[in-house]
Amino acid sequence: MAALVSVAAASMPSVVASGTCSDFSDLREIKKQLLRIAGLSRERGLQHSGKWASELAFSLAPLPLSELPPPPPITEEDAQDLDAYTLAKAYFDVKEYDRAAHFLRGCKSQKAYFLYMYSRYLSGEKKKDDETVDSLGPLEKGQVKNEALRELRVELSKKHQARELDGFGLYLYGVVLRKLDLVKEAIDVFVEATHILPLHWGAWLELCNLITDKEMLKFLSLPDTWMKEFFLAHIYTELQLIEEALQKYQSLIDVGFSKSTYIISQIAVAYHNIRDIDKALSIFNELRKQDPYRIENMDTFSNLLYVRSMKPELSYLAHNLCEIDKYRVETCCVIGNYYSLRSQHEKAALYFQRALKLNPRYLGAWTLMGHEYMEMKNTSAAIQAYRHAIEVNKRDYRAWYGLGQTYEILKMPFYCLYYYRRAHQLRPNDSRMLVALGECYEKLNQLVEAKKCYWRAYAVGDVEKMALVKLAKLHEQLTESEQAAQCYIKYIQDIYSCGEIVEHLEVSTAFRYLAQYYFKCKLWDEASACAQKCCSFNDTREEGKALLRQILQLRNQGETSTTEISAPFFLPASLSANNTPTRRVSPLNLSSVTP
Amino acid sequence: MASVHESLYFNPMMTNGVVHANVFGIKDWVTPYKIAVLVLLSEMGRAGGSAIGLLERRRLNQLLLPLLQGPDMTLTRLYKAINESCPQLANSVQIRIKLMAEGELKDMEQFFDDLSDSFSGTDPEVHKTSVVGLFLRHMILAYNKLSFSQVYKLYTALQEYFQNAEKKAAAEEAEMDMTSPEGRLVGTLEREDLDVPSGEEEISCSGPLSQKQAEYFLSQQASLLKNDETKALTPASLQKELNNLLKFNPDFAEAHYLSYLNSLRVQDVFSSTHSLLHYFDRLILTGAESKSNGDEGYGRSLRYAALNLAALHCRFGHYQQAELALQEAIRIAQESNDHVCLQHCLSWLYILEQKRSDSCVLLEHSVKKAVHFGLPYLASLGIQSLVQQRAFAGKTANKLMDALKDSDLLHWKHSLSELIDISIAQKTAIWRLYGRSTMALQQAQTLLSMNSLEALNLGVQQNNTESFAVVLCHLAELHAEQGCLAAASEVLEHLKERFPPNSQHAQLWMLCEQKIQFGRAMHDGRYHMADSLVTGITALSSLEGAYRKAIVLQAQNQTSEAHKLLQKLLVHCQKMKNTEMVISVLLAVAELYWRASCHTIALPVLLQALALSREYRLQYLASETVLSLAFSQLILGIPEQALNILHMAIEPILADGAVLDKGRAMFLVAKCQVASANAYEPQKKVEALESAILNLNEAKDYFAKVDCKEQIRDVLYFQARLYHMLGKAQERNRCAMLFRQLHQELPSHGVPLVNHL
Repeated sequence: MAALVSVAAASMPSVVASGTCSDFSDLREIKKQLLRIAGLSRERGLQHSGKWASELAFSLAPLPLSELPPPPPITEEDAQDLDAYTLAKAYFDVKEYDRAAHFLRGCKSQKAYFLYMYSRYLSGEKKKDDETVDSLGPLEKGQVKNEALRELRVELSKKHQARELDGFGLYLYGVVLRKLDLVKEAIDVFVEATHILPLHWGAWLELCNLITDKEMLKFLSLPDTWMKEFFLAHIYTELQLIEEALQKYQSLIDVGFSKSTYIISQIAVAYHNIRDIDKALSIFNELRKQDPYRIENMDTFSNLLYVRSMKPELSYLAHNLCEIDKYRVETCCVIGNYYSLRSQHEKAALYFQRALKLNPRYLGAWTLMGHEYMEMKNTSAAIQAYRHAIEVNKRDYRAWYGLGQTYEILKMPFYCLYYYRRAHQLRPNDSRMLVALGECYEKLNQLVEAKKCYWRAYAVGDVEKMALVKLAKLHEQLTESEQAAQCYIKYIQDIYSCGEIVEHLEVSTAFRYLAQYYFKCKLWDEASACAQKCCSFNDTREEGKALLRQILQLRNQGETSTTEISAPFFLPASLSANNTPTRRVSPLNLSSVTP
Repeated sequence: MASVHESLYFNPMMTNGVVHANVFGIKDWVTPYKIAVLVLLSEMGRAGGSAIGLLERRRLNQLLLPLLQGPDMTLTRLYKAINESCPQLANSVQIRIKLMAEGELKDMEQFFDDLSDSFSGTDPEVHKTSVVGLFLRHMILAYNKLSFSQVYKLYTALQEYFQNAEKKAAAEEAEMDMTSPEGRLVGTLEREDLDVPSGEEEISCSGPLSQKQAEYFLSQQASLLKNDETKALTPASLQKELNNLLKFNPDFAEAHYLSYLNSLRVQDVFSSTHSLLHYFDRLILTGAESKSNGDEGYGRSLRYAALNLAALHCRFGHYQQAELALQEAIRIAQESNDHVCLQHCLSWLYILEQKRSDSCVLLEHSVKKAVHFGLPYLASLGIQSLVQQRAFAGKTANKLMDALKDSDLLHWKHSLSELIDISIAQKTAIWRLYGRSTMALQQAQTLLSMNSLEALNLGVQQNNTESFAVVLCHLAELHAEQGCLAAASEVLEHLKERFPPNSQHAQLWMLCEQKIQFGRAMHDGRYHMADSLVTGITALSSLEGAYRKAIVLQAQNQTSEAHKLLQKLLVHCQKMKNTEMVISVLLAVAELYWRASCHTIALPVLLQALALSREYRLQYLASETVLSLAFSQLILGIPEQALNILHMAIEPILADGAVLDKGRAMFLVAKCQVASANAYEPQKKVEALESAILNLNEAKDYFAKVDCKEQIRDVLYFQARLYHMLGKAQERNRCAMLFRQLHQELPSHGVPLVNHL
């Protein structure tokens, strides 16, 4: 690989003349590089990479006049192609790709050649999208493809073999390969591209889309530059390795990118992924202050607002975005969420559909649409939407979970086990799937399995705090009072340790059970403490009082009566010895796990 | 992620999130092939009644229907088909298409404009509501609906279609030229090379298939999987085809179902579950027209989804899961009053019930219900299961045969050929269970030489079903028993050919083959060989494997291990109510006791076995038990008694038993005769001994048939002694010499002769 890099790098001295440093010691140099690459990307019509680089450059301190990077040197070839290039770039900018390609034919310079190939590629893509709408019936609709891809591949692979492609050319070659579903080759080419031109974010981003798991990531030989850090952080977020991602982003901020809106938004998304809603919300609010006209990632923001049912904020966001640009995928998604929160599910579904029309590659909308149909009780449409989501991305755990829920609603608990298990496989540490699995097992009267699921849900950190109660109730059913009591104790501890005393319905049940349990065990002190707690809840007040009276009676009959009642709630020593939950995550080992 | 093709998104037929199936159901899109058919129709109209002869006209009319309804075919094949019925018309069609394809867009437009003329006029050529008329109108309508760019695309597609045919014709012509003398060898070689891909092309089209082609492909493969697995594509290539199909047409739910069947073939539980559920997820959409959970619509598919899941789990032996899924199916079916579905559930329920315990209450109930709802298939399937269960429970043969005969009536009435096959296979098995090998043989031959009904109907030889495999296995075992090992191995070869090792029913013959080999190895005293076979048998059937393991241990004189294993097996079989195996185990236990010379302890065991085999009418095992019993009595010194009961057993053994058993029986008779002769007066004694010698000769013949040298050696020794007693020195010496030859060949195990059965 090293030899290859050096050969290819020799062919393009202008871009990475100084090479990229591997650490963040020289932020000025980084800024210079960013500015340079932004210019190069722009010249080649790669708008998104240019945007990314510019955004990042903006977040760094401005350079004095003396240090501004000089415009890239113009070679003989560039000068020859200058007229054609200028004309073609103008056509390219107004999306007349064929026309641009026509005038660029035969150009020798790297820049012009790239633009030539790129406009051919885009022209093919555009035609394909147009074709799909009026094809000859359903038979043909799967066959519409970008006709230009094959030719492009042949030409580019020739150039590639002759080592005549620069970093941008390699990037385009990779994209063509990916479009032809030649994933392995595409990965190789993108890796090569990152070696030759590490500054080009587009190549990294494409690589992100192609890498499906951690193992694949390990075996890539990536260039050792500061860009790699951004890439790693990004891909960790994609692969749901949130802890690692957050660490990376934090270190990037520490180095001096604290103003970068890109990093801030990525952190917010990461927090969203691990369902740390409050943190994510505050970061998004911060982001909106810094960059009020930003539309990217606002769909994630709206998801958060939705989860917290913050209607006014969501409404404000929706209106604001609608004003900025109503034909953006994110806007449609936010509006969909807004309608969904207002229980206008038909309209919500309509907006998600619109989002899909605007960008067919927008995955989340299918799942969200499925949720809407679920709300409308249109289960068959929901199933279809979820299936579409899965077809687009097999790893979409929300779609699997949604399918499971749909079948659960259709009262097919056994049938939905499969779907929940798929979701659980994808998110092994998400308690929601485990609780759902447990509930299904409970319905099927497979109590042992159900217990395993609930315990596991608790062990991986229960989000909704319901697993323990359910576990306790199961133990109650099986008359395993000891375990039931322990679960209730742990539950109460959990609730109180949270600090915020949310009105949890089950707290009273827990206290009632515990009071009765201690009463049976003749532990009067504990029993009366729990009974007193019972009295502070409406539904258990009477029972609590009755129990207190009984305890008093029995105590009076007994020889000694310690009248002082331990004021705070305490645990008996035997139980509190192991009250810190061990949280050992043993393999789940469900006996009936087949596929 | 984004590489998933875009057809998923831009879906003009999608309203309210649901793709309406009936929109996809429209198969009347204008394709180049359809244009060619239209050209044919218009040519037929133009030619009128005079130009074409009556015979040709009739042939053309016969051709039309498959052309209209069949899948798209290539232009060359179309020409060929027309050419076969009417050459002159084929020529004019060819010219018209050539003109159209090599002309301009307006030629095609003009053609469609002219098409509608055939309806008009006072005496139209085509009636509006006829099959052809409907087709024409559909096509005109579909054409008129096309947008400008679509029309242009259709025209380019037509040109391509035409050019492909031209190219192929040109290639064929070139090939013809090659067969000139000098290039002959090369030509033939190349043609052979070419033939391979073209043969594949017929089964599998590499490109995207049209809706009809896909449907045809799926139904063809599905029926092949059901009836004749060897003719279907191999699992891997079928899966590849299906993946290809789904890539281009993801809405084709049936492909998922076929993929499920295909995964079942290779016992892949993961992908089969995946495909099954995917299929039903998709099916639910297509049936979503009515939102009610009623008879139609997706409520129905939900029930069957759960039912199919139960079936899947049952096939993979996950009985608990199967039961849970079945409960679900039953509950949903009950809620929506679907009796037919409930009936299906019930029949699965009793299958499950059978696997886990043996109550036949459900079964009887199910049969009654099935008759009530007029589901003959399920009813007779139920009867068959019932018969099977009753046979194991020891009901008399005449009742069972009566029941089978009744269900056979039902089958013939409804032409359920599959069930007829099963019924005959079952009769074979029942006769074998009762130890009537002749009857079993006869039934097996009946099935094999019977012409299936299916063969008449479809032209598909339906001979790769489970019943054929069962019957053939029985046949092989029967032949092996009679010492016709060559015939048995031939049958097995045939089985291997018909049911290749990775197919569904291959396990049957695998087990059968290993059992036969095991029997051989035991007879020849190659115990290490037998031991190695045990592992193979255990893999296929743990029960048989354990039993055979015990037998090997016993033969290797590891009696305590053998005893332990047999006791365990006995308890297990008694729990499972596998009477056949219980008796076999009891016999093995008794043998262990003789080996330890504890004949008195063996007696009650044998009596228990005898009682059991009498109760369940397992004649074969009963005679075997009697043999053992007689042997014990002989050893205990009551040979007269032994002779008495032997008379009881000898008849069925000689009639139906295996050759080895016949030999053993005769040998034992001779032994008893000799033993009891001791008490006789000299004259009678000589007679008895002579008849014993005759019996021994017979036994020797039987042993020779199965090539059991050890037994032959024993017989020879015995005969020599007898001749010696009778003073016939010459015969004695002959026997002694033969004995010596054999003795040198075979090492002696030092087990006293008398301790053998």
